[in-house]
Amino acid sequence: MDLFSARVVDNEEIMPSTHVLTLEAARAARSASPGQFLHIRCGDGLSPLIRRPMSIFRTDGTLLQVMIRNVGEGSSWIVRRQAGDMLDCLGPLGRGFRVSPQARNLLLVGGGYGVAPLVGLAERALARRANVSLAVGAAASELIFPASLIPEEVEYLVATDDGSAGYRGFVTDLIPERLVWADAVYACGPLAMMAALARIMRDLAPRKPAQVAMEERMGCAMGVCLGCCIESTRGPLRVCTEGPVFDIRQIVWREEAAAIGTRGPGVGGHG
Amino acid sequence: MRLPPPDPQPDLRVEIGRNAKLPLTLRNPVMVASGTFGYGTEYARLIDVQRLGAIVSKGITLHPRRGNRGPRVVETPAGMLNAIGLQNVGIHKLVSDKAPVWAQWDVPVIVNIAGDSIEEFAYMADQLEGVPGISGIELNISCPNVWEGGRVVAEDAETTAAITEAVRLRTGLPLLVKISPQVADIVSVARAAEDGGADAVSLINTFVGMRIDTRTARPVLANVTGGLSGPAIFPLTLWLVYLVSQHVGVPVVGVGGVASLNDALELMLAGASAVQVGTATFVDPGTSLRILDGLREAIRSRGCASVGDLTGLAHPSRRAARAAR
Ligand SMILES: Cc1cc2nc3c(=O)[nH]c(=O)nc-3n(C[C@H](O)[C@H](O)[C@H](O)COP(=O)(O)OP(=O)(O)OC[C@H]3O[C@@H](n4cnc5c(N)ncnc54)[C@H](O)[C@@H]3O)c2cc1C
Ligand SMILES: Cc1cc2nc3c(=O)[nH]c(=O)nc-3n(C[C@H](O)[C@H](O)[C@H](O)COP(=O)(O)O)c2cc1C
Ligand code: FES
Repeated sequence: MDLFSARVVDNEEIMPSTHVLTLEAARAARSASPGQFLHIRCGDGLSPLIRRPMSIFRTDGTLLQVMIRNVGEGSSWIVRRQAGDMLDCLGPLGRGFRVSPQARNLLLVGGGYGVAPLVGLAERALARRANVSLAVGAAASELIFPASLIPEEVEYLVATDDGSAGYRGFVTDLIPERLVWADAVYACGPLAMMAALARIMRDLAPRKPAQVAMEERMGCAMGVCLGCCIESTRGPLRVCTEGPVFDIRQIVWREEAAAIGTRGPGVGGHG
Repeated sequence: MRLPPPDPQPDLRVEIGRNAKLPLTLRNPVMVASGTFGYGTEYARLIDVQRLGAIVSKGITLHPRRGNRGPRVVETPAGMLNAIGLQNVGIHKLVSDKAPVWAQWDVPVIVNIAGDSIEEFAYMADQLEGVPGISGIELNISCPNVWEGGRVVAEDAETTAAITEAVRLRTGLPLLVKISPQVADIVSVARAAEDGGADAVSLINTFVGMRIDTRTARPVLANVTGGLSGPAIFPLTLWLVYLVSQHVGVPVVGVGGVASLNDALELMLAGASAVQVGTATFVDPGTSLRILDGLREAIRSRGCASVGDLTGLAHPSRRAARAAR
């Protein structure tokens, strides 16, 4: 883990509002593992102030890629960077996916830019001759991650809400019938998708290894501010440090947490 | 021809607790603020934390606390809101697990404590007495707290004095009292801390604020409100340090929005003897050490012999004194 300035060598818009930036970042590229992230400064002024967490998409030698969806002030600054520009990064941070060497058949489930860490994971798994299925969900076909960027050996399954590509419905609908085949399941995407997956795993495969990459708003990403904590069966855990990848059974999903917790001023104070 | 001797290094030391049983001499006036530096170990992988003037550890309570539900932080223009809810390991674990690490360090660690009552503050001070690795106590009487129905605890001078006195009786460690900016009369609260036996006052804790998600029409923070920190609050900090330092005799530690050498200098000219860097560390972990390196040069170039010579230079009384010279 380092604080470093990375040169942008390429910026490509791979689908609407989604860019892949290739960075020259030798040390980070060498030490990164799939599921880890960078905390990226968006500009050198006071606004936006706080860095943005972005998954490491792929690494290759001294190069490291991030895949950025332009959703707001910070991400739009990042996607405007051009070859030659410098990017102020902190990382690699957090704990990535943990794949047992015995796992032969890997089922990956992604939604939106949640595909980013899964592609790197798929490449690593293929390198050690595992079989990989990647199921991806999106609202419509133009938001589906391009198949051309996925290694050919990967079985690529697509689900869209409107049926404009692949299966019509939720990506999680594709999971049950593949659970017998899969030795382990890895997911990253919208909270609702991962919560649905957690229910499927609980009901159909309660002992099969399954991990999810979680998101929460961050301050430091160094484990000090406690801003990124989520509820787990072991109490609050930091997404930036104990995560972002967790065992799916460790997470107390927010609907359930909402039932336990209370919402309102003065419950626990600031600081 | 003989060259003149090199300028002596300016003296950066700051004394806190001249009258405490165990006075603390900071090697320099640049500290890191409570809640923004964990227990000191986390950033040690990234920067040389031993060079800091002091580390103030995350606010600790008697019992471990789980903190608030998320979202706990949200960005604001040039700042952020936090509603962590004082998640911490509890004082006993701090003493058994964290202090032994600090005892091996050069950099002094000041423990920030938050009690639920006067008795609890006093009990916690007791627990820290004589523990190797703990060099000072900062009372967090300013964190908007469950106690007293979510109001800022030490809104009034009387409570401040009572808490400070109770802790003073139990501790020989240098005692800093951290004050909320949102009190009716900050000068009287700071004076009450001094009268109660504080060795320094830390100004300030965060300001209460909120943000609303316009898509869902709900507050972003699960706690609804959070404490505002970061560069956005710097001018407010500066003014309160300028104001209070003219009315208390103990050192004032300036904290709130410090992000650059210039900010640190402004705070010292306004009357601070030392500064704490908080949120700026998240943005750039090297901020505090860069301020420290710049400070040495800035003092020398002004022809000052020590960092204390800067303190309060912007006050009318000091300006008049200088004019008379
Ligand atoms: C571990 C992790 C990995 C991520 N990986 C990727 C990735 O590979 N590609 C990608 O496009 N996005 C990723 N995100 C989400 C990304 O961090 C947010 O989309 C981004 O911070 C939005 O910033 P903004 O300024 O553009 O948007 P704004 O909405 O203007 O952001 C306002 C504030 O909210 C925070 N915020 C908003 N959305 C999120 C979110 N979903 N998660 C956390 N904080 C948020 C921002 O950081 C910022 O502080 C990841 C998030 C996490 C926690
Ligand atoms: C995430 C976070 C947690 C904090 N926790 C504490 C705390 O536990 N105790 C305390 O006295 N102050 C706490 N503070 C307040 C800071 O110590 C400091 O007073 C405030 O943030 C203003 O300084 P800054 O603008 O440099 O951050 C916290 C601040 C932040 C941002
Ligand atoms: S973002 Fe600060 S602890 Fe995780």
